[in-house]
Amino acid sequence: MRTDDLIDRLGRDVTVARPLPTPGMRTAVWMVWAVSYLIVVAVMMFAVMSSAGVTPTPLYLLQQSAALVTGIMAARAALASVIPGANDRVWVLPAIGAATWAAALLWAGVLDLRASGTLGVTSQSDWPCVSSMTVGGLVVGSPLVWMLRRGAPMTPHLTAFLAALASLSVANIEACLTRPHAFALTVLLWHGGTVAAIVTLCALMGHWWLRWPDLTTR
Amino acid sequence: MDESPTPDEHLSRLMARAQQGDSNAYVTLLRAIAPRVRQLVRSRRGFLGENDVEDVVQEVLLSVHTVRATYDPARPLMPWLSAIVRHRLADAARRHVRQGAHEIGVDDLDVTSQTPVANSREETFGDPDALAQAIQALPPGQRQAVELLKLRELSLKEASSLTGMSIGALKIATHRAIASLRRALRGTDEG
Repeated sequence: MRTDDLIDRLGRDVTVARPLPTPGMRTAVWMVWAVSYLIVVAVMMFAVMSSAGVTPTPLYLLQQSAALVTGIMAARAALASVIPGANDRVWVLPAIGAATWAAALLWAGVLDLRASGTLGVTSQSDWPCVSSMTVGGLVVGSPLVWMLRRGAPMTPHLTAFLAALASLSVANIEACLTRPHAFALTVLLWHGGTVAAIVTLCALMGHWWLRWPDLTTR
Repeated sequence: MDESPTPDEHLSRLMARAQQGDSNAYVTLLRAIAPRVRQLVRSRRGFLGENDVEDVVQEVLLSVHTVRATYDPARPLMPWLSAIVRHRLADAARRHVRQGAHEIGVDDLDVTSQTPVANSREETFGDPDALAQAIQALPPGQRQAVELLKLRELSLKEASSLTGMSIGALKIATHRAIASLRRALRGTDEG
């Protein structure tokens, strides 16, 4: 087909295409969903348990804040990555958030070592958190994937990586909020391992669910 | 005094109107950006032949069409367009490498024997009427695929644009059609 014929055909096919809101606005919409999920799960868990069982120390709050910031920044970066011409270095802010999150957990591990004389690596397995983070990540991440699929899949692997990081950061808060952990290193290894494994898997599979739409003019 | 818009502002306005469904503005926009896209492709892939350049240009135009909602009319159009061109070029290069890994280049297809009789069956089918009848007997989808891809020699993308069938569906239809034709013509030939 000649290019001029293709242009005529596309011109005939054109329909209203409302511009997408800015990545910041779309992130806010997604956060409403993510925070609603957190609140619902937390209320349900607190209703089942007699008390929260979690002591909100400043370091604990820093960890959860860093996870939340990582989630917000990663979601914003993912949504920006599907806009052609957006900043290529979208991953920098979520990387800073994730580094802060990991540093806060490491520091808490050092404090555990000083207080108890052990890092508690083998004291507690955390499979319930692995499963709740996986399910939570799926629930929180599904609308984000739907939002991302409305954009241009310029960098599907990076976008999928960021979307998974955003979803699991929020799911991690839910896991930490509803299940007490005796040692910070348990959280770092089990939660961090879950995040690393799922994020890597999603990044590898990014081109499966973020691909250019079928390029036919119908 | 009313200042006339810069070329990029003009394109942005056309795209904003296209996003509202204005067909004329959209065609004007695509006709205006096609030479720019062609120039970008040539400057970044100087080794491509004219047909390959045109393939990439068409791919970019189709991409622009499918993701036009991602354009923010408050921003200049060219950085948005350039990003699409850059990524579609990278995709085309990856596709080329992938295809190259599964293909064996053959400069010249050798005949099986120097004797003309030995090659006549492979090179031509002796009864064009039987072939035409066999094509007519195919199911509509398969017949259309054969006519577009084998007789009119359109590319998969072009045939897909014309029929609305996906590229995968066209490949399957062609494969089945060829198998059916082979069976039908073998029967004709033997009978």
